Amino acid sequence: MTAMLQYDFMRRAFVAGLLLALIIPCVGVVVVLKRLSLMGDALSHSSLAGVAAGLIMGINPILGAGAACVAAALSIEVIRHKIPRYAEISIAIVLSAGIGLAGVLSGHVRGAANFNSFLFGSIVAISDFELGLVVGVSLAVLLVFIALYRELFFIALDERAARIAGVPVAAVNFIFTILTAVTVSVAARTVGALIVSSMMVTPVACAMQLAGSYKRTVIFSAVFAVVFTLVGLTLAYYVRLKPGATIVLTGVLCLLLIIAGKKIWAAVGSRRRKERNS
Amino acid sequence: MKKIWPVVVAICLALFGAVACASPQPAPTPPAGNTNEIESQTEKLSVYASFYPMYDFARKIGGDKAEVVCLTPAGTEPHDWEPAAADIVGLEKAALFVYNGAGMEHWVDDVLAALSNKELVAVEASAGVPLLEGGEEEEDEEEGHEEEGGFDPHVWLNPLYAKIEMANIRDAFVRVDPANSAYYEDNYAQYAAALDELDGEFRSALADPPRREIIVAHQAFGYLCAAYGLVQEPIEGLAADSEPEPARMAEIIAFAEEHAVSVIFFEELVSPKVAETIAAAVGARTEVLSPLEGLSDEQTAAGDDYFSVMRQNLAALLTALQ
Repeated sequence: MTAMLQYDFMRRAFVAGLLLALIIPCVGVVVVLKRLSLMGDALSHSSLAGVAAGLIMGINPILGAGAACVAAALSIEVIRHKIPRYAEISIAIVLSAGIGLAGVLSGHVRGAANFNSFLFGSIVAISDFELGLVVGVSLAVLLVFIALYRELFFIALDERAARIAGVPVAAVNFIFTILTAVTVSVAARTVGALIVSSMMVTPVACAMQLAGSYKRTVIFSAVFAVVFTLVGLTLAYYVRLKPGATIVLTGVLCLLLIIAGKKIWAAVGSRRRKERNS
Repeated sequence: MKKIWPVVVAICLALFGAVACASPQPAPTPPAGNTNEIESQTEKLSVYASFYPMYDFARKIGGDKAEVVCLTPAGTEPHDWEPAAADIVGLEKAALFVYNGAGMEHWVDDVLAALSNKELVAVEASAGVPLLEGGEEEEDEEEGHEEEGGFDPHVWLNPLYAKIEMANIRDAFVRVDPANSAYYEDNYAQYAAALDELDGEFRSALADPPRREIIVAHQAFGYLCAAYGLVQEPIEGLAADSEPEPARMAEIIAFAEEHAVSVIFFEELVSPKVAETIAAAVGARTEVLSPLEGLSDEQTAAGDDYFSVMRQNLAALLTALQ
């Protein structure tokens, strides 16, 4: 452990990785319950279009990526409301629109040199600026999530019931959408799009297997994400693997183990019950 | 419900009309300044080159007898690039296509097979160069990164191999346009001498440097290092863009500290984030060492070519090896 942590880049990786592991699943729980699991993918691909547009128009590409993310997230909300029974359609449309726009725009970017570097970060190469961004966004997300905890809970479970219960659904959805967009654009640039889109879903899926309530799902998801990041980064360092991919696969493996474990547990439980009854 | 049909039809027509009226994409233009004589003379040989060094070499051999188009646009990392439809259209009309080969352009075989241009002469410029195997430069076996074919394609970074590439390109020009063979021979002779001179400059400048190890962004400098007795310690494998392994970064940092390396090299076309992270860790500077896979717009505007960038590389190497 000490050998690994003597390097500044590893310390940064752990700090940024753990902060994001705390907040991305918080956003993720709501996103998953709203049936928008692929939100992370859709937004990170849309930010590609933002980078390209930023480079063409001479705006700061990071700003462009953030703006594109917000626009994409709001479009998802709008389309979701037009076709409420098929919420995932909105993701598919925005995802393909984002990739399409990026493809068309990138053909006009002169000197596409750092096109990728504006977009896809690596968890082992995080600058001071990015670390600051991550800390800022994490604090903001955590505060808003706690402040709107009850409202988000209602909306995630049933928007119509939430409206009847007097929750300002439109306003909360708007704030949450902006929050998601900002989180994705910052995290994708810092630790990579792969980590973001899987951290939104995999820990939540693991938590849903075990937790009985919304509150426990939220807490378990964050704990799972933190464990995946710790284990994944450590493994990547000592076994010589790509860090982002290792973190993601750690999560998937854990989910498989939980599902298998539940099966075995249930089988053992039913046998015992039978033995007791006979 | 009935009213929706006219709207749908109108939208479809409008979309079709917009596409039909939009002027077709112009074919990629050569990034160099002297494009003003395009299409003024139909006599000119239409030559396509896959990426910058091929373009530069073909332009030098072809001189004013050829109109050379560089397929990979300025500022694009050629490892990632693939031709678009407009490029294929251009190739259909071309007389000569110059590519590096040795696994650099993974799309070449497919594209050549798909072309119906029977007249097109395709020349693999790296033919005849003794290729290095991928990953050979590194002592650590685990680090062998496979590129297509398992060879290191960056042959042009050794001026003498660049000369072989130019000779191959000259032969192709002579084959396509035998009437002007003396002209191409002359051009080749002139640049072959210049390449020998460049090689001599590298050789004498790097004859006895205080150290021989350089840390580079990706493993592009195998031929350069082999020619002048340098050792490259690459952060990435032969392909330029991928996520680095933290263990590899730790090794590089240890290596840099052990050899008191003061400069971490990066490339214009690849994100400098990793190089900057390592430089910050060991208190080194970052500087550009160009693998010449493409020029930036600024370099193009400044009139840089193979020779000037190679000399900038030599200067950068000399300061780094102090």
